[in-house]
Amino acid sequence: MSEMWINMGPQHPMTHGLWNLRVKVDGELIVDVDPEIGYLHRGIEKICEYRRYNEVVTLMDRTCYVAGIAWEQLYIMAAEEALNISPPPRAEYVRVLSQELQRLSSHVMWYAAYVQDIGLMTPFLYGMRDRDLILDLFQSYTGARMTYEFMRVGGVRNDVPVGFTDRCRKVMDWFDQRLPEYEKVCDNSTIFLERTKGIGVLKAADCVNDGVTGPMLRAAGVDRDLRRDRPYSVYPELDFDVAVYDAPDCYGRYRVRMEEMKQSVRIVRQVLDWLDRNPGPVLAEKVPRFVGTPSPPPGKEIYVERRGYPKGRGFSAMEEPHGEAMAYIINEGAEHPYRAKLRSPVFVNIAASKDYLVGYRVSDIPAIMGSVDICVGESDR
Amino acid sequence: MTDLTLAALLPALESRFGPDVKVLPSRKEVLGVVQVKVDRLVEVARFLHDQGTFTHCALVSGVDWIEHIEVLYHLWSDALKGYLEITVETAPEDPHVPSVTSIWRGANWHERETWDMLGVRFDGHPDLRRVLMPEGYRFHPLRKSFELHEPEELEVKARHV
Repeated sequence: MSEMWINMGPQHPMTHGLWNLRVKVDGELIVDVDPEIGYLHRGIEKICEYRRYNEVVTLMDRTCYVAGIAWEQLYIMAAEEALNISPPPRAEYVRVLSQELQRLSSHVMWYAAYVQDIGLMTPFLYGMRDRDLILDLFQSYTGARMTYEFMRVGGVRNDVPVGFTDRCRKVMDWFDQRLPEYEKVCDNSTIFLERTKGIGVLKAADCVNDGVTGPMLRAAGVDRDLRRDRPYSVYPELDFDVAVYDAPDCYGRYRVRMEEMKQSVRIVRQVLDWLDRNPGPVLAEKVPRFVGTPSPPPGKEIYVERRGYPKGRGFSAMEEPHGEAMAYIINEGAEHPYRAKLRSPVFVNIAASKDYLVGYRVSDIPAIMGSVDICVGESDR
Repeated sequence: MTDLTLAALLPALESRFGPDVKVLPSRKEVLGVVQVKVDRLVEVARFLHDQGTFTHCALVSGVDWIEHIEVLYHLWSDALKGYLEITVETAPEDPHVPSVTSIWRGANWHERETWDMLGVRFDGHPDLRRVLMPEGYRFHPLRKSFELHEPEELEVKARHV
């Protein structure tokens, strides 16, 4: 049969966002793949050069719409390196709490969408309902459900409210019950197992060479988690295991995410205990005025203007729910970053799609691309 | 494959590549910062990949310094548990840098993005197309000569056209 190119996207139920997967098919068989992204490109890196350090936080929420607070911390860590400011310990714990709640909500969101892609409807409703509990927690201490604008250079905006830790513990207890149920639904479903096992294989060596990170990498058996291997924030003081699985297919990725959710619950509990015992400030003192305070909008001279603040570069890498994200900030002494570079794990995971799609059937595409956990806002920036 | 410790790695680079490699002052969040001459980049990358255990190319990015363009590589080593920063300088007019996609396939889209955003041509890249901006777009937006206007300013301009 003759080969032909098919556009799956930019509007297609499989994409979960706005991007286009061009596939070359021979009958049902995929012979070539050419993903096209950029539909959601907003020029965030460029806009960062025109915003004060704390104003950039607003943009970071919009970078990834399911894991906004992870990107806030990523940026803030790089900016703090570049500006040489360090936050108080309680702020670090509130940040880690936010990270793990976000990981939980992102993975639950992934679970809901993915299982629905495969053809099971009920778990979608389970997932969306339980995710709401976490969003309620976020709302109670950041004031927002998705775009938090919570972190600041030198700390976080506010402390958690009175009674928050107990409320959060209740939600964690709820998740203790729910997570085994999630697994039971999938592991007892022949449809789910048939559609995920042995599909979308990307071996460990290919993962590493392709730059693929996150649950995809760990599902292939590579034991790497930046929270443990290149510790940031207060992760060294917390007790958790890295989820690794030795099946480099869709099923393995599902397994890794399930295990990560349990570990997140474990970390959240430890952080809550710490927060109960250790009151204190959540924002560092002596954060330079022009980093924190607004002044009239600048003209185009902003990146030429030098304010005499020590120059510096900041690099941060962290384990975001989708994989390893990085930020690189260059501070040239002005109010604004001279350059802000963001590395999105999803961008690289999509780039490698040729390696795990070719050879499978068209009907496998939703199952495979779903298991990658795509957030287009993040890959396009 | 000989595993190099960090203490041995940077001197090994210097002794092997001589004046084409310069170890710059490091910062605490990376293992080291190494400046490499453009024409030796692929050799250095090959050395770091094969002998230095830097199997994962995490990030390729660029900075427009107006007088020159800096291309940055962040490489991860599972053995050393850290990132090594490689920097390369190139001319602002028609910048060319050799591609490292033959060593790390993962650098592919990062290089495409750097071409898209900064106009750096990666020689030897298999498929150097724009990735985020549309084909046929005339600008490289992260160049400092590309000015971003405040929305109100654009509005005023549109009103006076």
